[in-house]
Amino acid sequence: MKPIDVQKDLSFIEQLETNLEKNGPFSGWELFSMAYEAERTMMNPAFSGLQAKKYLPHMNFLEHQESTAEQVIEQMNGRAILADEVGLGKTIEAGLILKEYMIRGQVKKALILAPASLVNQWVRELNEKFYIPAIAHRKNYNWDQYEVAVTSIDKAKRSPHREAILDMDYDLILIDEAHKLKNHKTKNYAFVRSLRKKYCLLLTATPVQNKLVEIFNLVSILKPGHLGNYESFRETYGKDGKDIAEDDYLKTLIQKVMVRNTRKDTSLRDTKRNIETIWVDFTLEEKQTYEYLDNQIRSFSGFSKITYLRELCSSREACYLSLKKLADENNIEDDLQPLLGAIEQLPHHAKAEKLIEVIKKIGDEKVIIFTEYRATQLYLQWMLKQHGITSVPFRGGFKSGKKDWMRQLFQNHAQVLIATEAGGEGINLQFCNYMINYDLPWNPMRLEQRIGRIHRYGQEKDVHIYNFAIRETIEEHVMKLLYEKINLFEQVIGHLDAILAELEIPDMEKEIQNIFSESASFGETKIKLDNLSAVIQNKQLEAENQKEQHYGNT
Amino acid sequence: MAIHDLNQFLHDYFQAHECQIMENNNGRLTVKLTEEMDKALMNRPFYWHYIKGTGNPGVPMNLTLITNPEERDKKGEWIHFGSPRLQQILRHLRIHEKYTTQFQQVNASTNTALYPWLVTNVKISYIGKHKRDEIISVGLHLVNGQMKLEMMDKLREIPLQMQIADYCFTISPMIRLKSGFLRIEAVLDSYMENQPKEWAEESRKTLDEEIKLLDYFYTEEDDKEQKDKEIEEIRERYSPRITYEVINGGIFYLAEGAIQ
Repeated sequence: MKPIDVQKDLSFIEQLETNLEKNGPFSGWELFSMAYEAERTMMNPAFSGLQAKKYLPHMNFLEHQESTAEQVIEQMNGRAILADEVGLGKTIEAGLILKEYMIRGQVKKALILAPASLVNQWVRELNEKFYIPAIAHRKNYNWDQYEVAVTSIDKAKRSPHREAILDMDYDLILIDEAHKLKNHKTKNYAFVRSLRKKYCLLLTATPVQNKLVEIFNLVSILKPGHLGNYESFRETYGKDGKDIAEDDYLKTLIQKVMVRNTRKDTSLRDTKRNIETIWVDFTLEEKQTYEYLDNQIRSFSGFSKITYLRELCSSREACYLSLKKLADENNIEDDLQPLLGAIEQLPHHAKAEKLIEVIKKIGDEKVIIFTEYRATQLYLQWMLKQHGITSVPFRGGFKSGKKDWMRQLFQNHAQVLIATEAGGEGINLQFCNYMINYDLPWNPMRLEQRIGRIHRYGQEKDVHIYNFAIRETIEEHVMKLLYEKINLFEQVIGHLDAILAELEIPDMEKEIQNIFSESASFGETKIKLDNLSAVIQNKQLEAENQKEQHYGNT
Repeated sequence: MAIHDLNQFLHDYFQAHECQIMENNNGRLTVKLTEEMDKALMNRPFYWHYIKGTGNPGVPMNLTLITNPEERDKKGEWIHFGSPRLQQILRHLRIHEKYTTQFQQVNASTNTALYPWLVTNVKISYIGKHKRDEIISVGLHLVNGQMKLEMMDKLREIPLQMQIADYCFTISPMIRLKSGFLRIEAVLDSYMENQPKEWAEESRKTLDEEIKLLDYFYTEEDDKEQKDKEIEEIRERYSPRITYEVINGGIFYLAEGAIQ
C-alpha cells in the first residue's frame, strides 16, 4: 500500500541545542515530569470511544445522547443530520460531538449558524455545559480571531462577513434549525454549500416535512452524491412524493447520515404530561356580547370574523383593538359603535378570573402562560399585578439580550412568564413545569413547540398543562371536535406532523379557519371538523400498526 | 505515568513554583500565588501594569482549587479535567517545561563519570477517519549508542538534580545531538512501520468512495469549482497521516549502569 505521510518535529532538537549553548533556561525535574504526566493524561489512546465524558463530570448524559455522539463520530465520520424530536437534547449531542473533536485536536475552528434569537443561548450552553469558549460575533472583530464563533446565517451571508467567512477553512460547521435550508434555490443554501468545512452537523427536529427532495438537499450539503444526483433523485422519488418508509433502500441510505431519536425509543426518564382542560363559562353579559358580535360580523368576509370571535374569547382588549382598527381603516365607526360600546362595557374577562384562581391553586410554583394576543398579554400582566402575582412578559420580537434577561428574571424573581409565542424556537424553561394555554393556537406544531419549552431534556418533574376553553364558543368546537379527538395533547406531535404532510395539509390553522368561515351553519362546521379528525385518526391508527417509521438511525 | 491524584498534582505544581500552600484539606487546596504565577494564571495584566506604575510591589492573589466534587459548592473553584483552569495549567506546563538538563545525585568520594543520555518524549498521532495518540519515551546513550524505551519510568527511580554532584564529571558525547535525535526518529519510523495499518486503509477506502460519489453527483462542468472544493474537504478529512510531536526532552547525565 501507499506509504503514509509522516510529519516530523525537528524544532525540538534545534531549540534544545540553542538552550544548551546559552545554558538554559531548563526545567526542574519535577515540573518536567509533570508536563509529561499531563500529556499522558490528556492523550487519546484509542480511535473510538468518547473521551469528552471524562472532561465533563458535571454533565449527566442520557444514553441516546452518548450513543448518538459516538455514532456521528465513528460511523458517520463527523457529517450528520441530528434530527431528534423536540426536547431530547440535540444541542447536547452537538456539544458533545464538538467537544470530543476539540479534545482530540481534530477541531480548532468552528462556526455555528443559528437563528438570531438563539445565538446567545448557544454561546451560553457551550460555555457553561461544555467549557467550549464559544463567542457571539461582534462588530469589528475579524472572523479569524474566533476559535468557536456563533452567529446567524442572515448576518454571515452579508458582506463583508460573507467574504471573510468563505475565506476560512472551518474544521466544523454546525447549522441549527437546518430545515430552513431545504430549498436548494435559496441564497442561504448556496452560501452553506460554499463554506469550506471538514465536519458538519445539521440540526433539525422536522427533517421530513413535506417533500423528499428537501431531505435530498440537506444530505447534499453533507455528502453530495450519497442520494444520487438531483435529476436521478427527482426521477425516482420526486413526482408523487413517495413515502420514505416504502423504500427500504432509500431509508438505509438516509440512516447513514441521519440520527433520529424519538421519545418512544429513548430512555428519557419519562416525566409525564398531565393535561387538563379547564372549562370556563362566559358571564351572561359576555355571552350576550359574543352572540351580538357573531351576528354583527356575519356579513364580514373570510377569516377576519373568525379572528374577532377568537379574540373575544381571549380578552376584551384584543377584540376591541382590532375592531377599532377595522372601523378606523374603513370609516365605519358609526356602524361598529354599538358593538365597540358593548365590548367596552364588559367587566372582567371570565377566563382571566379563572386564570387567577388556577394560579393560586398551583401555589408557589413557576407558571408559563401562553396567549395568542399582545393585548391579552398586557391585560393579564395588569390583572396578575392586581392580585399580587409577579410576572414578566416575553415576546418573539424581543432582542435576544432582552429575551435572556426576561428568562433570568422569570427564573430568579417572578412567578409567572406571559408569552405571546413560543419565542420562535429554542428558549429553554425546564426549571418550570406548569403551563397554561390561555388560548390555543390552531397550528399543532406551535402547540408542540410551546410544550417543548418545558417538557424537554432536563425537566425533572412531571409537567402540568392546563388548556383553557370557553364553553359554547368557537373554542369549545375546536377543543371538543378536533383536539380532544385526535389526542393532540397526549402525544408528541412529531407523528402528527408527518401525518399532516401526508394528507397534504400544510397549514392546519388555515384548514380550521376555512372550515369555520366557509360553513353556512354550525351543523356544517361540525361535520367538517368531524371529518378532519376522522381522517387524522385513521392515519394515526395506520402509523401505530406499522412500526414507528425510522427515517433516521436510532 | 498519568495524573492519578489531581489534588496531589496541583499541590506539587504550586510547590514547584514556590507558591505557599495555605490549606490542603479534604480536596480543597488554597495557595498564595507568587507574582510570576499570578501573572501566568489570573489574567489581570492591567492590575500589574497599574501597580508597577505606582511603584508598589503588588499583592498576588490566593487561589482555592477544589478537587473533591462533594465540596464543590463551597467557596473556591471546582477543578477537574475539563475545567478551563486545569486546561490553563496544563498549557502552561506544556509551553514552559519543554527542555531540561539533569544530573544524577551521586554520593561519591572518588571521581565518578556521568554519561550523557538524550531523552525525548514523543507523542505519535495516527490521524485518518479517526484519531489516536501514543506516547513513547526514548533515551539514547550519547556515547555508546544504546537505546532504551520507557525512559521516563526508569528515570523516576533515579535521584536527579540540576547541578552536578561533588567529585562527578561528565563524559563528552560521541554522538552529536542532532544525529542522536535522527537515530531516535529512525527507531520510531521502524516501530511505526510495523504497526497495524487497517486504520489507514479504511480511511483511504472511504476517501475513494466519497470522491466517487462526487463524480456521480456533479454532471455539469460548470460546477467544477464547487466539486474541487469538496474533493479537497474529503482529502482533508480522510487522508491518513502520522505526526510526531516532541512533548519534552533534554540531556540527562547518569552514572554507569544507572539505566538497566
